[in-house]
Amino acid sequence: MSNASDLRYVRYEKSRENEYVAAMRQLISKDLSEPYSIYVYRYFLYQWGDLCFLAMDDKDEMVGVVVSKLEPHRDGPLRGYIAMLAVREEYRGRGIATKLVRMAIDAMIERDADEIVLETEITNTGAMKLYERLGFLRSKQLHRYYLNGNSAYRLVLYLKEGVGAIRTGLVDPYSLPPSVPGLPDARGEHSHANMGSLV
Amino acid sequence: MLPNTEVRVPRPRMAQSAPRDITAEFTKAASKLNTGQLVKDETFTLFEAVGALEIMDSKMDSGYIAPGENLAQALEDDYDVRRPLTPEEVVGLMDQLLCHEVAWHKGHPLSQTLFTSIYLDKLLWPVPRTMEDARFDRVPSDSPLVSLVLRAYCLALVKACDLVHVRVATEYYYEEEDFVSQLYNRNLLSAFSISQFHHLLDQAVTWVSEQTDIDQKLKDAIHCRLVFRHEFLSALDQDIEVLETRSTANFSSCITQLQPLTETVALGKPVPEAFSLKIQRKLASTVPPRPMVNVNSNDALAHLKRLCQDAIDMQQMLDYTGPSNFKTAVWTLLSRKPQPSIYIRCLLQALIVSNMTILGVVPVKELLSDELAELVLPANILLEANTDEVEVPSDPRFQIAQKMDGFMKRFAQPFVDTVRCACLNRCRIRRTVCHTLIDWDNLQMEAEEIDLELRTLSGEPPLQFQGGEPTWSFPLSSWAYHQKLSQFRLILQMGFELSIYSPEELPGMYWYLSHICSTHLGHIDRIRTFTVAARKRDLMSTGDRSGNSSQKASAFHRSFHALERLTTHIIAVDAFAIALHALYVVLSRHKVLPFASSPQAYSTDRLRYEIRMKPFIPITLPELVPYDEYQREAALEGDSDTTILERASKAIAEARKAWEATLANGAFIDDPSGPSQPPPSAIEEDWKRDVKNTMRACIGTSLAIEAVKKALSATSSHGGKPLNLEVIVPEVGSKSRWHDWWVVPQVTEKKSKA
Repeated sequence: MSNASDLRYVRYEKSRENEYVAAMRQLISKDLSEPYSIYVYRYFLYQWGDLCFLAMDDKDEMVGVVVSKLEPHRDGPLRGYIAMLAVREEYRGRGIATKLVRMAIDAMIERDADEIVLETEITNTGAMKLYERLGFLRSKQLHRYYLNGNSAYRLVLYLKEGVGAIRTGLVDPYSLPPSVPGLPDARGEHSHANMGSLV
Repeated sequence: MLPNTEVRVPRPRMAQSAPRDITAEFTKAASKLNTGQLVKDETFTLFEAVGALEIMDSKMDSGYIAPGENLAQALEDDYDVRRPLTPEEVVGLMDQLLCHEVAWHKGHPLSQTLFTSIYLDKLLWPVPRTMEDARFDRVPSDSPLVSLVLRAYCLALVKACDLVHVRVATEYYYEEEDFVSQLYNRNLLSAFSISQFHHLLDQAVTWVSEQTDIDQKLKDAIHCRLVFRHEFLSALDQDIEVLETRSTANFSSCITQLQPLTETVALGKPVPEAFSLKIQRKLASTVPPRPMVNVNSNDALAHLKRLCQDAIDMQQMLDYTGPSNFKTAVWTLLSRKPQPSIYIRCLLQALIVSNMTILGVVPVKELLSDELAELVLPANILLEANTDEVEVPSDPRFQIAQKMDGFMKRFAQPFVDTVRCACLNRCRIRRTVCHTLIDWDNLQMEAEEIDLELRTLSGEPPLQFQGGEPTWSFPLSSWAYHQKLSQFRLILQMGFELSIYSPEELPGMYWYLSHICSTHLGHIDRIRTFTVAARKRDLMSTGDRSGNSSQKASAFHRSFHALERLTTHIIAVDAFAIALHALYVVLSRHKVLPFASSPQAYSTDRLRYEIRMKPFIPITLPELVPYDEYQREAALEGDSDTTILERASKAIAEARKAWEATLANGAFIDDPSGPSQPPPSAIEEDWKRDVKNTMRACIGTSLAIEAVKKALSATSSHGGKPLNLEVIVPEVGSKSRWHDWWVVPQVTEKKSKA
């Protein structure tokens, strides 16, 4: 087992897409319960590659990754979002994830982010502890948020004062008529409500 | 982690035009791009990216046929639906199907549950036009156990799903969170009437009873499963007609059948090969292949039993006996743990309000009027003025009636929504109330406008306090404010229930809860003062009109009684919150309270306070407590540990008394005109259990306070060493968490390290 000093932390580089993305996908698909298409990775990396950080071991193999984005939320605050975080199992407990998340947060702060949000599975106590140590608070619980039926917590970190008072477009929970029987909800209402932070 | 999603929104089809092969053009254009280069529309969102499927990837593309894989083999199973089955296999299959049915009830899609059954697939595709068409194969199996018994069971099961689907889909629910309504272009036999299914089940029951070569135990096992299907179908078919029938007979006999059913699960022999994920490849869906969901028999049967019991107990809230009782019954029933299933919650929604009518009989406006009479306007002209009686538009009473009518129209829906909200899943209740709080802030301002206009029309005399400015009652906005304060309290308490707060926030959150309670108590006092004044005026002026007076007296009595109950309850919450606040302050001061955040955190207490107060920031009244004030108050700056712990002891003693008084007051306000002492209902029992659990939490708090006192005196005699205490904050659902809303720390002496 290598020492922490053998690890290198690097920012994602577009020019190395071929090697990076494959390794990233392998790491993430092993760790997280959700299957993502290549398009999801491209969505993040093409637009916010500079908010993606990697941990490489002494053999230059990827052992950790964080993928994130940063954009205004519903014409309101500039919101950072940590979409994926994974560390190879045998490398856990060495602060790699914390270091990666810190790098992502620092990069977002540099770019004047107002707040950072993310979701984590309710059962993932490790992740929750990590983020809470960094100062995130749980703002709400999301019922059966993931495909596997697990619920999630939304975790929030404000980086500036007054962020909570910035107005965003509100969703009226009773404004929409009920779904039509037999049809998938064509308005994607649930998902939009859930993914308010993402869209 | 980013969520994936199954709601993959189908794009609206463009006008049909002739298809054209664009492969060559596409390949040519694509070859000009570098790998990883993203071609993206401005409006293309992450939501859409997550919904994208990778064609030709077996993990994403459910229609993908691997190289060398035979098309027929990839799509079709070898399973022969005509093969004869042993009675054991029939029992096993029935129970497997039942488990899948429950998994679907619990919110999993049909594609991962019932629609993995080859038997159901054959029944439902192609879509049968007649009952006769709904069979496993064109040539029925020679075995009546298959062609008659299993078929009848399957058909009745599908019909039961149809009834559940229709009820859920017509109500307000969250797709995927609560339920997946997707039917994959199949039809759940919705066109066929219940009697046709009953008829088939009856035939099957008769056939089974006539068999001599089947073991009696197995005959009984099959029998009770068929009867269960029969009764379950009737029970679901009753639906909202329960308002008329008031019958629990079918759900009761479902529970009766579930007993022998449970006992005979072991007799069944599962037939796993009769279920296949290959069917997913044929279902019209844009979802990647997903695994089969397995709910075990015990869980499935327990779920069904609870569903039936909830449906039976629901009866006890169908009689309208005033707004307070109605709200208590709804909230208590829906707060059961585990939370009632989505079917029950949707059925309740329909019963609570349909076509602006409560429980099928009471217009929503009447509910609102009763609520106002109970809390702010007993025997008041504002509620009694009527445009039917006074027809002269210049008469103030006519104008009052008109204004009140406008108010009712505006407020009836938001008001009934506050009750209906209990039908959402627990996470959504809190989120919804966070949103509606803002609506109620605006509603209160609107009500204030109406109050001002009504005051002139009714000629309400002002009160003067301690020589101050004249003050009026503002009944409608007072009531709206009361609603809002109740919602504040609910948001805070649901936060405890949903484990939103980190341990270091607990002192502050309990301080905030008590702050809201004392604001609320002050507000109720204000309301009471004006009601007392109105009563006095009334007694002085109506000495001559005796006919009305007893009615008026009882209206005032009801209102004072309701205010008294409310006060007792809020005092109980307030005192308990004060006690826990004080206890947590001491634990936090001495650094024995666990902390989630670290000194290296990015945020500060001030920023975290802002996140926590986010739902309350836009609210004008009560004003948000500024951080510095909150910090001082919540930390009890300047008070010694001894003072604080004395405060905790006093408060918890008061809390215990107030909770006892709340328990003695009972869940419901007795209707003096109703039958004397109705038998205690299951809902009432739930309510009592809830209060008793709160009282247990009070006792736990007393013990914790004592333990801290003891440890403090031990340290002070040993020269200010750190407190020798271990503090655990019990999780929701753990044994030592007596009540979800009351986080009582477990405080124990630290064992000396041997």
